[in-house]
Amino acid sequence: MENHVEVRENKLDLEKITSTVTSPSCGAVSVFIVYQRNNFDGKRVKTLEYEAYIPMAKKKMFEVCQQIRDKWEVEKIAMEHRIGLVPVTEASIIIAISSPHRKESLEAVQYAIDTVKAIVPVWKKEIYEDESSQWKENKECYWKSS
Amino acid sequence: MVNILFFAKSRELSGVNSAQITVLSQCTFTNLLENILQQYPSLAVISENIILALNEDYLSKDSDVNLQEGDEIAVIPPISGG
Repeated sequence: MENHVEVRENKLDLEKITSTVTSPSCGAVSVFIVYQRNNFDGKRVKTLEYEAYIPMAKKKMFEVCQQIRDKWEVEKIAMEHRIGLVPVTEASIIIAISSPHRKESLEAVQYAIDTVKAIVPVWKKEIYEDESSQWKENKECYWKSS
Repeated sequence: MVNILFFAKSRELSGVNSAQITVLSQCTFTNLLENILQQYPSLAVISENIILALNEDYLSKDSDVNLQEGDEIAVIPPISGG
């Protein structure tokens, strides 16, 4: 059982993250990547700024790993979230999960991103080309009022 | 005294990343939030839209809270990670 979680300020390394979950006993690695879009409501997004409550974010990411292991037989889980300035078209989170057969890791990776969006304390601010900005809110976040 | 941390919109509104505050050692979630809002009135505009964490776990809005010296409270606006 190997869980790897990280919150980092530099660019995420897809190949490295994927290689941490490969295993001779696993025929499947499922990877999910969030990339940043360049528009919201017709406004051009210039850049994105992420911040995290890092120790709690890592704690909640480990909890997501445990929830996955309670539901599916997967081998290794890796998730890394980038914070700080994230340019449009670069990745903000990469999740990679290995399992002996594909069904488990495919389902687990979807559960992982949905649950990360609901419980991991990370915030994203979109900064638009007109210099306005907005803190975003995930629809999965249960305490948001609207 | 407990440590209080502010993130994202709550950090911008309070103007600080963290502080030390005095709060009741036993109270409800609602009392604790009211107490924080009294000390940081600029947070009022998002008061319906925040949750608190105690020592890196979310508090539920209907919970009773027991606080000890040095505990860490975080003001958590709606999250947007991923």
